[in-house]
Amino acid sequence: VLQEAINALILAMSYTLFASGMSLAWGTVGILNFAHGATFVFAAFVCYLIVRSDTLPLVALALIGIATGAATSAAAYVAAFGPILRRRKDVETSEMQILAVGIGIATILEAIASHVTESEPFGLLGSSFQTRPLRLYGARITNLEIILVVLAAVVAVALIIWLYRSRVGLALRAIGVDDGAASLMGINRSRMSLLVMAIGGALAGLAGVLLTLEFSAITPESGDDFILKAFAAIVLGGLGSLPGTIIGCFVLAVCETIVLTNTSGQWVDAVSFGVIIIVLLIRPSGLFGRMAVRRT
Amino acid sequence: VTAFYSSHLVLIQQTLINLLIVLSIQIPLRFGVFSLAGSGSYAFGAYTAAILNHRYGLGAFSAIAVAVVLSALLGLILAALLQRLDGLYLGMATIAVDLIISVIANNGGSFTGGPTGLYGIVATPNISTGTVASVAMCAVILAAASERGRLGRRVVAVRRDRQLAASLGVNVGRYRTAAFVISGAVGGCAGALDVFLLTTIAPSDISFSTVTIALTMIIVGGSASWLGALIGAIIFTWLPDLLTIVTEWEALIYGAIVTLAAVWAPDGILGIARSVFHNWQVRRAGTVVGAAEDSGHGGSAVPSASDVRTP
Repeated sequence: VLQEAINALILAMSYTLFASGMSLAWGTVGILNFAHGATFVFAAFVCYLIVRSDTLPLVALALIGIATGAATSAAAYVAAFGPILRRRKDVETSEMQILAVGIGIATILEAIASHVTESEPFGLLGSSFQTRPLRLYGARITNLEIILVVLAAVVAVALIIWLYRSRVGLALRAIGVDDGAASLMGINRSRMSLLVMAIGGALAGLAGVLLTLEFSAITPESGDDFILKAFAAIVLGGLGSLPGTIIGCFVLAVCETIVLTNTSGQWVDAVSFGVIIIVLLIRPSGLFGRMAVRRT
Repeated sequence: VTAFYSSHLVLIQQTLINLLIVLSIQIPLRFGVFSLAGSGSYAFGAYTAAILNHRYGLGAFSAIAVAVVLSALLGLILAALLQRLDGLYLGMATIAVDLIISVIANNGGSFTGGPTGLYGIVATPNISTGTVASVAMCAVILAAASERGRLGRRVVAVRRDRQLAASLGVNVGRYRTAAFVISGAVGGCAGALDVFLLTTIAPSDISFSTVTIALTMIIVGGSASWLGALIGAIIFTWLPDLLTIVTEWEALIYGAIVTLAAVWAPDGILGIARSVFHNWQVRRAGTVVGAAEDSGHGGSAVPSASDVRTP
């Protein structure tokens, strides 16, 4: 049981690392970034290109991944998401455009990665980091997994403190509630959006490096699975609530671990889809979501 | 022409099938229902027809007919379940439904053929291109009928402003339910026809990327009319054939086209064509008006639409 609990914890922290950036961008500035998964893959891919010729320590790889992710996401915002949001007429069409643009950018990034790797899985074997198995009260865990769990926890706590205690965080939450009123209060919406997208991209990049090491190899299409799982976690926790997203990641990871250990076959894929449908049917605002306040 | 027709037969058939798939997502979009369940209906229809034909020895045409009815029924069930959802949430919930169908097919054991799927599905009198074309034609007529006249205006009202539509006596719920049912029937029909054309169906035929490809065709072609669906289906079915020189960069070109279309031309190629045509008409109408004012009569030749719709 301890082994399964540890596995669930590692899975939950992996999802947290990936989903928190996506949740932040969607819950505050309203960009559901479908290229988040591709950003994750692309950051790992850039590290893979570097590691092929040079041996680098984990810290350097992580920094490269963070920089690549942040740059990719910021570029996507400047080139695509920004212009759409500036020119939007109504919410329905802009939602569809944002979805389509995210898919388009994801296709471009994945195409570049799969062209170079010839659609083969790629890993970061050339790094100087060595994964070592450790024993913890009889359960197996690697040194990488400890780093992953600790780092994800630190990132999650730091993000929550930043979002709920700083002035910039307050501004972001204000945009999330009512962007019109927020801009009347002097909040620069496009600058905030750029900042949030860059942070989201940086987290995707960090996740890309750590999870590629953890899974030892990923394919250019790996990002799509993560997008859907992150979506399930965000919806479960409630849009606009970062702690909710993290709890959503935990619930999803525990459910998946239970299904994985107790059933045969590939039913584990259905867990996240089932979670999406059930939550949206029973409680569309999620566990901790903002209740819509509308005055007419 | 006949040589071209016979050598490109498969592409022509796939264009028609893709047109049906695109319509199964575009029709609900025009009703203001962001449902991507059309791709799931495709898989459901394909599996239903294949199982009926393969396991129960039903003839191809009756198998297709039953598959269409059952897919429409699935649409009705989804409408009842997902009625309350809207926008992106509805979109993602329907994507989840699509992918659950794939997971069920994958875990269905010998009944659905498991991960390898079902193969050797052959219609004894072959499904001709004419049959596929006439089915596609029916779907296009259905779509076109919901774009014009009284029905067309009601559909626009349901999409644009639900409260306003309801206050004008339009039963909004019924229209939204109809969107799910039509989507299910058209998507299921596409799947049932396609499984006899391709002779196989597998869980990998329905994935996140099949949903996004259908959405891509709509974005690039144009979401306002069935004509946009046709443009999108033609472009994305024939482009790989024409791009053989740059095959390795095919995905990159797709991504670039979608990104450009979504940012700069949200109404798709159809939207661009319409605005170009409209501008041309306005310019021509302008000269007609000038001439008419000189001679003192005949202003009625100006199309009324160009009077109202100044950009």
